[in-house]
This record gives sequence, structure tokens and C-alpha cells, in this order.
Amino acid sequence: MVLSGSAVTASQICGHSTVKNSIWSLSPTWRQRSPVIRCCNRKVREEQKMGKNYYELLGVSVDSQPREIKEAYRKLQKKYHPDIAGQEGHEHTLMLNEAYKVLMREDLRRKYDTSIGQMRAFFSRNTSNLGFSSWEGPFRQHALFVDENACIGCRECVHHASNTFMMDEALGCARVKVQFGDDEQKLEVSVDSCPVNCIHWVDREELPVLEFLIQPQHKEGYGVFGGGWERPKNVFSAAESFNKQLKHQTANEYQQTKTAHVTVEEETPAQAEARVNARKKIEEEKFSRLWDWAKEAFMKDMWKAE
Amino acid sequence: MAEPAYIVASDNETTGEEKSSAAFPEIAIGIDIGTSQCSIAVWNGSQVELLKNTRNQKMMQSFVMFKDDTPSGGVSSHLSHEHEMLSGAAIFNMKRLIGRVDTDPVVHASKSLPFLVQTLDIGVRPFIAALVNNVWRSTTPEEVLAIFLVELRAMAEVQLRRPIRNVVLTIPVSFSRFQLTRIERACAMAGLQVLRLMPEPTAVALLYAQQQQQTEHENMGSGSEKIALIFNMGAGYCDVAVTATAGGVSQIKSLAGSAIGGEDLLQNMMRHLLPNAESLLSDHRINEIKSMALLRVATQEAIHKLSFQTSVQVDVDLGNGSKIRKVVGREEFEAVNQKVFDRCESLITQCLHDAKVEIEDVSDIIAVGGCSCIPKIKNLILKIFKREELYKGMNPSEAAACGAALEGAVASGVSDPFGNLDLLTIQATPLAVGIRADGNNFIPIIPRNTTMPARRDLIFTTVHDNQTQALIIVYEGEGNKVEENHLLGYFKITGIPPAPKGVPEISVCMDIDASNALRVFAGVLQPRSSHPAIPFMEVRMPTVDDGHGWCAEALHRAHGASLDLVTVQKKI
Repeated sequence: MVLSGSAVTASQICGHSTVKNSIWSLSPTWRQRSPVIRCCNRKVREEQKMGKNYYELLGVSVDSQPREIKEAYRKLQKKYHPDIAGQEGHEHTLMLNEAYKVLMREDLRRKYDTSIGQMRAFFSRNTSNLGFSSWEGPFRQHALFVDENACIGCRECVHHASNTFMMDEALGCARVKVQFGDDEQKLEVSVDSCPVNCIHWVDREELPVLEFLIQPQHKEGYGVFGGGWERPKNVFSAAESFNKQLKHQTANEYQQTKTAHVTVEEETPAQAEARVNARKKIEEEKFSRLWDWAKEAFMKDMWKAE
Repeated sequence: MAEPAYIVASDNETTGEEKSSAAFPEIAIGIDIGTSQCSIAVWNGSQVELLKNTRNQKMMQSFVMFKDDTPSGGVSSHLSHEHEMLSGAAIFNMKRLIGRVDTDPVVHASKSLPFLVQTLDIGVRPFIAALVNNVWRSTTPEEVLAIFLVELRAMAEVQLRRPIRNVVLTIPVSFSRFQLTRIERACAMAGLQVLRLMPEPTAVALLYAQQQQQTEHENMGSGSEKIALIFNMGAGYCDVAVTATAGGVSQIKSLAGSAIGGEDLLQNMMRHLLPNAESLLSDHRINEIKSMALLRVATQEAIHKLSFQTSVQVDVDLGNGSKIRKVVGREEFEAVNQKVFDRCESLITQCLHDAKVEIEDVSDIIAVGGCSCIPKIKNLILKIFKREELYKGMNPSEAAACGAALEGAVASGVSDPFGNLDLLTIQATPLAVGIRADGNNFIPIIPRNTTMPARRDLIFTTVHDNQTQALIIVYEGEGNKVEENHLLGYFKITGIPPAPKGVPEISVCMDIDASNALRVFAGVLQPRSSHPAIPFMEVRMPTVDDGHGWCAEALHRAHGASLDLVTVQKKI
């Protein structure tokens, strides 16, 4: 029987602190996003609010001090702990404990911050590059989205609702500048006025992905989509498959950035060489795996769409 | 109120009244069963009250006397003299025996007690018997404890004028889950339902949290966090906890415990006074039992006196022609027991280390339990913390029972208009739980000092090509090898899809809820498919019964490595 370094491995897998390149499903980020026992009840999965942020869970701000986190944790425990709330509090308390553990330990918190920071940066970067639409007034359930593939650049929408739509002169197509920048009547008129019906009402949640995918430039440094593809022909089906992948891949992606992050912060020169070699290897292998997978899953969709 | 299936009511005359009282939450009583002494407390609506027995004692000796056909416990029966308990007819120290197998060193140490403890050293339950009319009559620690609990229950029911059903018991930190089931079993035999089993120092921590909260109310303080170390050493066990307290919430940061206590001090001292004590202790002839009893009482008195004076004269006639006449100094006593004191010290430092707390951060040091009045113990604690004084706001012998009563009230859902019950204990796991993998290694899944409720999982994989079955053997403890840990149970995952070794992903997940119930989930993961090929398994632990030491051996012999698992290596 073989058992090299096994005990160590076990503790590593168990702890969040270690880099886990094993499988996507094991990644801590994945677990953070859905703290579900994977080997057991699906019921839990449904109950859990996906992707609930630890800071939101504890009701503290991102820059809060350990003291505030402790106080918030105690307050919530008094509300949800099974001793007080009964057995129903079990699941929630588990999440609280996990959140508390991560946020109270400096190293874990830093990693966690990087992982969610990365998610924010990921979208905010696109925001600036894309003219990602901003919101006027409160968030609503639906948002406007222009399928730029179909847009013929007729400027009708810009005429009718000039605070909402804008023209991208370089690409010759319309784009949403400010969600609900005009009143609803004007919006209706402008949607109706489009000769090719390329203005769509979409779910707010879908909007960032759609707006991200519609951009034609290829972006560097974002592994999967870095390979120079153009704008997908059918942005909606692409968004669908993108969402699926995002779920799986964010885990790995964040992991990668985490590794990098740790390298910068904690590396001693003595470890550098070994680390660089190992990382190179990891990244090569991972990149090729991801790439193959993405190509397979994603391209298939695109061909289908065509 | 759902009737738990396992209740074996021995004297359940209260069933008729059950329904009428169900409308109100029944306040659970708190019981601190010590190795030598026991106390019982209850929340009376405004504060915690210790109950007294008919002889007006708050502290009752934990023993059960087998006389003729009716056993009687230390709650009701009265001893004319200390020697009576040592005649062989009384079973005591059951807390050191319950749930232990006959290979356990603690059981072996108990062989020198006046009643009969026999071991076969094969990992089964030890044989225990009391001397009734010159006949050794067998019994079990569970039975002894149950008899004692029945007396306690009857006493409480008379005083509180209501049936008692729910209890919160305090237990040593080092108790394994198997031992906890034995305690629950004894409670069930006595018609009691266990609401919580709380480690003794955590009960003290809850009492401390309440005291802190009250002072805060009085001073209108800001409610800043206070860290306290609780050291609890009684006759049988030594437990340490570090707790962080604020606003009535006691958060246990770490726990440490060991089966050392006053009993060890006593036995070491007896051996010191009578070097050939071993043969005298082990044969259990009638005359020898008497001699032993005399020696034991004399030694006990001497140790007690040494807490207040620096030397003591021991003068005892053992009746078999040998006399002991000796002056024992405090230094001598301390030297004889150096190992015990060293162990206490290491428990404290370990606990501080696990809690990641520096000695300057500790606001209060609380020492409770019978041994806390030994000068050496006090000194060693003060020395570790470089302090002058220990915390003074607690009665060392009553604190655990009071804390248990508070927990009983909180967990029963009682609320107090004055906020005196606005309390909470956030417990931590005293021992790691995990499974056997990578050969004979113990792989913890939920490590020690994890905040409860807790849930963790780990992925394992197969050792052989086309291995279709895997044996999940669950252990609890701190050792790296499974033999050093307590077996909790085992089950088999069958129908693993055939694959080369190392490919199947077997996820083992453990879940501990607030009442410390452990469930183990296990199943084969299928990447990229949401539906499992074979059903997952959910197993409540522990599943083993008596003789679990044998089980472990048998498992070993029958299955060896054929159904083994290994932890998943980092896949790159």
C-alpha cells in the first residue's frame, strides 16, 4: 500500500490554507460560494443562499476590525445558535462559524479578500473597458441590453431615450449607458422603435455576463477567454454556457490568483526557486486542462449557435 | 413532546403528569457528577439554586452501597464512618470506570480500590463487583451510576414538586463519545433524558459569563471581551479550558483534559507510605480490604491537612501487625506527585497554545474542583501566569453544577425578564474525529477545538484497482495511529464503480450539532454529474457497543488492507 506523505496531505486538504489544485469541486472558493456538504443532502443545497458573502453574512463591512467581527458574530450567534433557535439554527450557525473562522484569521481573511476582490475586479475591469451600464435609481428586476451583433446602428433608440442609450462610434452600434436613465415610457418607445428588435429586457443577474460577453476585444490575463475569440454570434446561449463554466472555473481561477498572491506576500527567497518551478508546472498543466475543456464546451456551443 | 425511543424508565411514575407540564418548557436540571462528590442545581426562575439532600448537604458523595438486596447511593444513605465506604460493599469512582475497556490504564489503576475490578486485557468491559455479605456481586458502572441518578432524581422531584425529565450533565473533557453514550445509557436507565453533556470547564465558563454580564450591567460597562482560563481538577479528572467572554456569550477557544486527579495523588501517596502496598491492594482478602481502608482514610486526611499546614503526622495501625508512623512534609507530598503536577502544567500550556492566547491576554484565572485548594496546584497556575491571585467569585465545588443549571435553563428555552439568562455557550470539540486511512493512520476530519456546530469533509480514494468496497472506520482522539484512539464505529461503502486505484472520489463528511451528536456522511462523488451512482450513507456515531476494543482487533484481522482507503493526494 502506498501512502506517501499521506497524513500531511490529509491535513492540507482539510485546511483552507493550502493550495488545492486537485479538482474544482474541492476548491475552497467553491465551498465558500456554496457551503454545502457535497456528499449529502441536496436539501441543504437548495436552502443555502448561493454565494453569500462572509461579510454580508456577519453584517460587517469589508474593512471591519476583528473586534467588530467578533461582536457581530456573537450577536448573530445569540439569535441563531441551536441552543436558542433550536435545530433549525444548525445550518446557519455552521455558516456563521465558517465565516467567523475565515475572517478572524489574518491569513485566511487575506486569501478570502483576494478571492472576492478578484471577483469584483473582474467585473469592474470590464466595466471600465466596456462602458458597462450604470444604474439610475434603485436596482430593478430587469435591465436593458443591446445585442450588438444584431444592431444596425440606426440610432433610433438614442433619439428616443438619450439618457439611457449611447452610440459606440467606433463599432457603429448602440449600447446601454445608464439603466433606466429615462422614464419607462421613453424606454418602451425606444425598444419598440428598433427595426431589428435587438434591444432586450434581461434579468439583472444576467446583465453583467451578457455585457461582458458582447465585447469584441479579447482580453489578456483571463485564461479561458484569452485565446483571441471574437464576439460570440449568439450572446445569449454563450452567456448560458458561460454561467455554467463560471461556476466551475471561478474556483480554479481564484486559486491561481491566490497562489500568486501568497507568493508575493509570504515567499522567502530561499523557497523561491522551488516554488517557481512547481508553479510553472502546475500552471502549465492546469492551463492546458482548462483550455481544452473550455474549447470543447464553449466552442461547441458557438458552432451550434451558428 | 416526542418520546425518545431508548428511554428505559426504571421508575417512571410520572407519565400521567407528562402532558399537563408539556405546555411549559420543562427546565432541565444541572448535575455535576464528580468522581468523589456530586451536586445538583436548578434555575428557580430568578437564579441558580443548589439542592440539598435530607441531611442538608449540597455536596453528596458519589458512591453506591450494596447492602443486602437494596443498593443505596450517597444521596440518601448516611455513612457512620468513612471506612464504611471502603468495606468493599460500596462502588465509587464510577466516573473513572464508565465506558472504559479493560486495557485502559485508568481501569488498571482502579484495581487497588476496595471493591473488585478485574481485567482480562482484551479490550472488553472490566468485571466489577461489590462485596455483599462476603459474596462478590457483579455490577456495571452504568448500573451504579443509574442507581445514583435515580436517587438524585427522586430528591430533586420531592424538592421541586414536579417530575424531572431533562438534565444537563457535566462530563470530563477527555471523555470519548463512547463514554458519553454510556453516561446517556445510565441516564436512560434512571429515566432521565440528557439535554446536553457539557465538559465541566465549559459549565464553569458559562457561570463566569453570567457573572461578567451582571457586573457589566451594574457598571454600565462597554462589554469588552474578557479571556479566562478555567482549571478544573477533581478526584478523577483534570480539565482546562480557555474561554472568551463578552455580553453573556462564552466562546470556548480550546479544551484540554486528562484522567488525572485526586485519586492519583492519593494512590501515589499510599504507595509512598506503604512501599509494598501493591500486593495488599490487589488481592482483596477480607482483612486486607480493611487494612487498605484504614490506610486510604489516613492518607486522605493527611493530604487534606497538607493544604493548610506544611507537615502532618500520619499514625495508622493497619490491623495486620504493621503500623505506619511517619511525618510527611508538604515537599515530600509534592515530590511524590511531581508527575501529576507536571501533567497539569502541560495541560494548561497546551490549552493556551491551542487557543492562541498569550498569558497577558488572560483577564481571569479560575481554579475549581477539589484539587484546586492544593497549594502546589495554586502555585503552579500562578507561576505560569505570573500573577498574584486567582479569580475569587466562585465556589470551587459548586461552580460546575451551577453552570450546568444555567445551560439547562438556556437550552430549555427559558427566558428571564431581567436578562439573567441572556447567555450562550459556543462549544468546541474536545477531541478530533476522523477515520482510518493510509494504512493504520488516523486522519482527523474535524480537528480538536473546532467551534460547534461543525461540519467538515475530506476526499478519500481507493487503494486497489477496481476496488468496489471501502470500509469507513471512525475514530476519535489525538493519536496519529488508530490504535491510540477510540473506535466509534464502522460501516462499508459498497458498489463503488470499478476504476483504477486512486480515481474514485469518496467523500467523507462529518457533522456535529450543538447537542454534540455526530453524524457521518459518506458517498462516492461523480464529477460532472449531480446524481450519485450509489446512495450516500448517513450514520450516527458511535455505533459500537461494549467490547469495542475487540471490534477494532477483529476488523483488523478480518479485513486488513483489502477494503482500505487513502486520502486523496493533491491532484495537479
